[in-house]
Amino acid sequence: MPLVATRPEGYNLLVPTASPTIRVKVLFFGRLKEIVGRSEESVDLAEGAPIETLFARFGACHPELARYRGSLVASRNQEFAAWTTPLLAGDEVAFLPPVSGG
Amino acid sequence: MSIPSPKPTSPDAATTNAASSDLVLLVRDPIDPAALIRQVRTGADGAVVTFDGSVRNESHGRRTLYLDYEAYESMAVAKIREIAAALHEKFAIDRVAVAHRLGRLEIGETSVFIAVSAPHRPAAFDACRFAIDTLKRTVPIWKKEYFEDGAVWADGELPPAPANTSDTSTDTPIAKPAS
Repeated sequence: MPLVATRPEGYNLLVPTASPTIRVKVLFFGRLKEIVGRSEESVDLAEGAPIETLFARFGACHPELARYRGSLVASRNQEFAAWTTPLLAGDEVAFLPPVSGG
Repeated sequence: MSIPSPKPTSPDAATTNAASSDLVLLVRDPIDPAALIRQVRTGADGAVVTFDGSVRNESHGRRTLYLDYEAYESMAVAKIREIAAALHEKFAIDRVAVAHRLGRLEIGETSVFIAVSAPHRPAAFDACRFAIDTLKRTVPIWKKEYFEDGAVWADGELPPAPANTSDTSTDTPIAKPAS
């Protein structure tokens, strides 16, 4: 929403605007899918929040998931991504357990 | 296994646009190795080297009944395509075909098949080895092993992740998973 355009005169521009809320898609595979009980979920969070924050949201609901944090890598839009990567609207995020294809 | 209609083979396919003739498939039906070999072999090649990964009947001394593979399919295809592109950069090869099976696989069935063609065999051997080694480290596919007394997700390999971009990373310490 164009909050800036509707600010009244004299609005204190030093006060940061709250980040808009975005929706991202989260995918679960392998044992994570079994822990969470589903393969996909939509999540609302603040724009620019890092992947780590998104994971923490699920870890809070699923303590067993949080235990696996050290053995997971994250992906954003089908690319491996650092946990600090900021998220944007429509992103597809996955937490990937160690891979065992072949 | 159905294979998309084969690309026309021209005599100079090996030099002009080899990567566009590469084939990457995730399949639920049995893999057809002969079809993949046909896909990569052209008149310019002196060798086709293949890797046939199959379902073994034991894991760490336990008798395996069957395996169940799942994938992050869109990312897995993209990652295998990256591997194929890397093969063309690193080795003097012609074409690459990779098929990985998903779903339930019985003992002895082919789970992954890789075929690499090249004018000369050293490049084909090296590229095929590089392809399977890289696939096992970086492609988001997982297998669950079923035994007589239970099932486990196989110990896998952690793909190399990008370093955190923030200097002020506040990773909370989290216990290692029980294994």
